[in-house]
Amino acid sequence: MPVAAPHEPTPGRPFFAPIENPLERFEQECKANLMELSLTSNPDESAQQLAAILSTLPDGEMFVQDHPSLRSLVQAASVSREIRWSTQGRPREVAQATVTLAEALVAQTGSIFVSAACGGRGASVVAPCHIVFATTDQLVPDLKTALDNATRNGILANNSFACMISGSSRTADIEKILVQGAHGPIRLAVILERS
Amino acid sequence: MSAPATRVPPAEGASAHDHPQSANPETQFRHDAAVKSADLVHREIIRKNMESYDVGHMKGRSRFLDWEAAREACQAIKREAINHLDKYLLQFEENVTARGGHVFWAANSEEARKYIADLAVKHAVKTVVKSKSMVTEEIELSAALEKVGCTVWETDLGEYIVQLRHEPPYHIVTPAMHLNRTQIAELFRDKLGEPDLPEDPQKLVAAARRKLRKAFFAAEMGISGANFLVADVGAVAISTNEGNGRLTTSLPRIHVAVTGIEKVIPRLENLATLWPVLATSGTGQPVTTYGTLVGGARRAGEVDGPEEFHVVLVDNGRSSLLGHPEEREVLHCIRCGACLNICPVYRHIGGHTYGTTYPGPIGAVLTPHLRGRQFEHLSYATSLCGACTTVCPVKIDLHHHLLHNRRDFMKAGHGKTGERLQFRLWRAAMLNPKLYAMGGWLTRKGLRAIYGLGLSGSPFDPLRAWNRKRSTLPVARQSFREQWRKGLGNGR
Amino acid sequence: MPRKVSLFVPCFVDQLLPEVAVDTVTVLRRIGWEVEFREAQTCCGQPAFNTGYWDDARPCAERFVRVFEGAEVIVCPSGSCTTMLRNFYPELLKESPMRSEALAMGQRTYELSEFLVKVAGVIDVGAVFPHTVTYHAACHGLRELHLQQEPLALLRAVQGLKLVEMARHEECCGFGGTFATKFADISSAMGQSKAENVVASGAEYVTAIDPSCLMHVQGMLEKNKFAAKAIHLASILASQGAGA
Repeated sequence: MPVAAPHEPTPGRPFFAPIENPLERFEQECKANLMELSLTSNPDESAQQLAAILSTLPDGEMFVQDHPSLRSLVQAASVSREIRWSTQGRPREVAQATVTLAEALVAQTGSIFVSAACGGRGASVVAPCHIVFATTDQLVPDLKTALDNATRNGILANNSFACMISGSSRTADIEKILVQGAHGPIRLAVILERS
Repeated sequence: MSAPATRVPPAEGASAHDHPQSANPETQFRHDAAVKSADLVHREIIRKNMESYDVGHMKGRSRFLDWEAAREACQAIKREAINHLDKYLLQFEENVTARGGHVFWAANSEEARKYIADLAVKHAVKTVVKSKSMVTEEIELSAALEKVGCTVWETDLGEYIVQLRHEPPYHIVTPAMHLNRTQIAELFRDKLGEPDLPEDPQKLVAAARRKLRKAFFAAEMGISGANFLVADVGAVAISTNEGNGRLTTSLPRIHVAVTGIEKVIPRLENLATLWPVLATSGTGQPVTTYGTLVGGARRAGEVDGPEEFHVVLVDNGRSSLLGHPEEREVLHCIRCGACLNICPVYRHIGGHTYGTTYPGPIGAVLTPHLRGRQFEHLSYATSLCGACTTVCPVKIDLHHHLLHNRRDFMKAGHGKTGERLQFRLWRAAMLNPKLYAMGGWLTRKGLRAIYGLGLSGSPFDPLRAWNRKRSTLPVARQSFREQWRKGLGNGR
Repeated sequence: MPRKVSLFVPCFVDQLLPEVAVDTVTVLRRIGWEVEFREAQTCCGQPAFNTGYWDDARPCAERFVRVFEGAEVIVCPSGSCTTMLRNFYPELLKESPMRSEALAMGQRTYELSEFLVKVAGVIDVGAVFPHTVTYHAACHGLRELHLQQEPLALLRAVQGLKLVEMARHEECCGFGGTFATKFADISSAMGQSKAENVVASGAEYVTAIDPSCLMHVQGMLEKNKFAAKAIHLASILASQGAGA
């Protein structure tokens, strides 16, 4: 396969095509990233989605970021599992799922941008299923916007940790075959409620 | 620096990296290159892996409106960072220490190892989890930690596999590229105590997850590398896919990030360009699954996180490259592995043969500067084809640096006496057309005689190095100039 | 203005592969260009330069510039030697009093296919070569001179010639100058892969604009007893019938 010869770059030309419809792009990228995206119109639908996802998981406790919107979401979903809130401490090894908010969503790469404020570091990596609850007003078109915002809002001044997450954990270290679910979550689900 | 000893044929998969005392690096290299380049099974494994990479990589590039503009932008970012390295490193340090983090400047491997080992002892560390870091290979950290009583777990799947095999990593991005699922299954059945493990990659990954998960939760110290050091926010940026880097930097009490000093970049926004370019060049992905940013230990009010955060800045010869205006850009490398993947030499000898932490074109350029003249031969073990230069995402002129390395070695008088003499004679002939023509005529006559006697490839054949490996070089009866004189010049 | 070129014959072509230069002359004359050959020329200095002996390469380069003084157009049937003159003389002769002449000379030096297409403006040189041919994109020509479309255009215009693509046609054949003997194992392993790709393409001939590469690939083809042969572009273009 020939590697195309370097061509002359066009000065001032952006590297990426502008993103006309961020929501559409976000949906496409989530699909490519093998993330589970559900678009909901109101809190009831979001709660239903959460319940649906949880019903597919084995029994066991879940870890939830302690935030009013997640308190009401979890209540509305009539969750019967044991819940460990982030205010009680870090997620435990046995957790089957974690539920967190996000700082932002990025359409360009289908990413969730989280910080330590979103339930801590372990919340987005320790359990086999990570569920993110977000609203469409959190969606930004590209990485540049997300990082510019992060700088402006002092995300790293106020948090010791942040992470741009673009899918569930994976590896291709064996014969370059893509395997979903390495050391981090095997599933990443996003409940995206229209704001 | 160890004294050169007798040559030791390496065990399967091992190289001078494993046996630093065993042989002169060039001798070991030549031996391993001869073995590997004749190994057609190996050639096929690499070919298949690289073909898979090529497809993904080209697809990744097609996501860019203007890939060349992106390369130029990355080059500009790294150039700014490296040309003002002191300023940005100090800014990074300031920002990290202001929030309670520790920054240690290690002049060399020994200082880095000592700092980290002392830290482990101080905190009674028994278990260490490591995510991928070529610098920790470079400074040979694991052995130093084991010496003070730690069990060190490589958690990147590829690194874990080669650790179990007591091998160095084969490739800077895909450490176990040279192995197939059968070999990995056998290895896991043996080492993980799961005798019924099938060859299915998914099951193999799950087995590694089960085993390493215990280590993640037990470890007192997590050691990571750094892809970038973001100066304006004082954060270490780590690009991973597996989640092992995440767990390593979240669960243990102490997080140590080990990094070369050249990883610094000026601003957080630079990652909007570097993250996609690194991922595209490294694996063909739009971005890696996790783009982690760590600015310090857990802050008051945060749910979890390490209690201590240390960044070890390793020099180990890098600042000497800084002082070299022509070679400085070699420090722009973002360790994506693209040059390894395209290199036809790498594809035929594989990663272990180089006997260095960094193989492939970047390794050949860099290693003599980091580890000295014992590795000069690497600048010669290349056809200077230039493919590496075409794919480098930060536009390092790799193949011309190899040429410059050669020039510098000869200028420093490192050329073998016999060869220097040969080129003196060659020069005398080339400066004198009559001498050149006579020399050419005599040589051809001599070669035709030797080959006529069937002595091609024998010790009597001055071109035996050529003829040993190929059919006998054809030797023309008449040179072009003789034909020109004899009438071609007149249009006949 | 008389249509005349000054021929730059690489030293190893002169001594080992003279037919490449002879065929170059044939082609140039056929399209109506006069050819001069300055017998004072020897070697452009590339072997010493590539091996790192720049102090030995420099006087050869300076002499070479002097030999071609006044030549309006210089043509060379080798991508690597043309690269030496155009891309590397400026660096090698950076401190030399001959630097500006060397720069100017580089601008007037063309690899053969480059000359035919860009200077002479011809693609069809009246060649006949009814065989299946595959093109090896030799490294210097490809990456230093940015040539590939030119040789391919010339090949497509050859009567009877069937052009087939081989796998990894842009991958280095493994010659690499002194690399071929210093690291003969690696060099020949790379050559082996190239030879196998030639055969897999189904071509009877592999061609390129670099005679050194072809010499190496031919050596590998023959060693394997493959039927395919290596042939320089000039020889195809000079051909006016079956076989070469």
